[in-house]
Amino acid sequence: MTNTKEIVKGEEVTLEIEPGMNILEVNKQLAEKNMELLRKHNIKAIDIMGSIGAGKTSLIEKLVQALKKRYRIAVFKGDLTTTIDADRIGQHGVQVLTINTGRECHLDANVVARAVERISLKDIDLLIIENVGNLICPAEFPLGTDKRVVVVSVTEGPYMVVKHPFTFMNADVMVINKKDLAEIMKIDTKQLEKQVKEIKPDVKVAVTNALTGEGVEELIKALEL
Amino acid sequence: MILGVTTVHELSMTTQIVESVLEEAKKQGAKKVTEVHLVIGKMTFLGTEQVRFSYKILVEDTIMKGSKLIIEEKDGVIECSSCGYKGTVPITDDPAYHIPIPTLRCPKCAKAAKIVEGKECTIMSIRMVK
Repeated sequence: MTNTKEIVKGEEVTLEIEPGMNILEVNKQLAEKNMELLRKHNIKAIDIMGSIGAGKTSLIEKLVQALKKRYRIAVFKGDLTTTIDADRIGQHGVQVLTINTGRECHLDANVVARAVERISLKDIDLLIIENVGNLICPAEFPLGTDKRVVVVSVTEGPYMVVKHPFTFMNADVMVINKKDLAEIMKIDTKQLEKQVKEIKPDVKVAVTNALTGEGVEELIKALEL
Repeated sequence: MILGVTTVHELSMTTQIVESVLEEAKKQGAKKVTEVHLVIGKMTFLGTEQVRFSYKILVEDTIMKGSKLIIEEKDGVIECSSCGYKGTVPITDDPAYHIPIPTLRCPKCAKAAKIVEGKECTIMSIRMVK
């Protein structure tokens, strides 16, 4: 119930109302609805976040290859424009729906709800959502998935975890990708793992090379799939 | 299949704020909105400067033009389900990085705690002239 206060001063009537309206709550409620709908259909859903070039799409390709015999998979691919990545994933024989966000820096629960309406829920049991390439904004908007994954790569430098604590607070799983380049980049992946666990003690970590598929089994285990 | 939406983070959030205020003002039959009081949690990704900037642009040509925007920032609060600790978000100060880093590690039992406050972006009050 909105509180209303009316103040009369001379001829002017000032009204003060207290809506107490939480704008971010709207997305959260939509996310809960998405989760409820997906669970009703026994669909597991994963949100994959991370910077541009971290290796999200390559990782999804490897996940799809490893899991498509056990799960009927659909992939939502968030991108500002183009269907380049969707075509890459689509060649593995799974259903891919591109969500072009135009200028928006993240996916939100509303656009995912609209995308969910477009697919036949009885025909899938795993939904992988690749968020827009961005290490920051997507974390603000839960989509209604069971797990949220943040992919970082060693080429992003040694400070990406400590510089983005709020992003990792919203992650269930962190992937450290491009492990083959760690030595060249002088990055100690153990150190990154220690840092992320300092920020979020219950986060699970998988160290991967998405091009060869190394570490993907570790990721599947971390995702409880 | 391709779906489309538009705009960027603070701008889209502020658009929602301005639209909500205008809707309330219309409901009340207001001639002018003079003040909007927001609470933004420190655990959100919203920069108050960017919100102010977007607000100024968005209220042009509306009855909110010239209104005062008050932004109150709210600290994050965590709660630990293992030991029951509830308090402000702990900060680890690692001298190696010269920056304090917030953590969800419970300061009492070291297990993972959850954020319970500081993730809001709330329109607390609106002042308007009828």
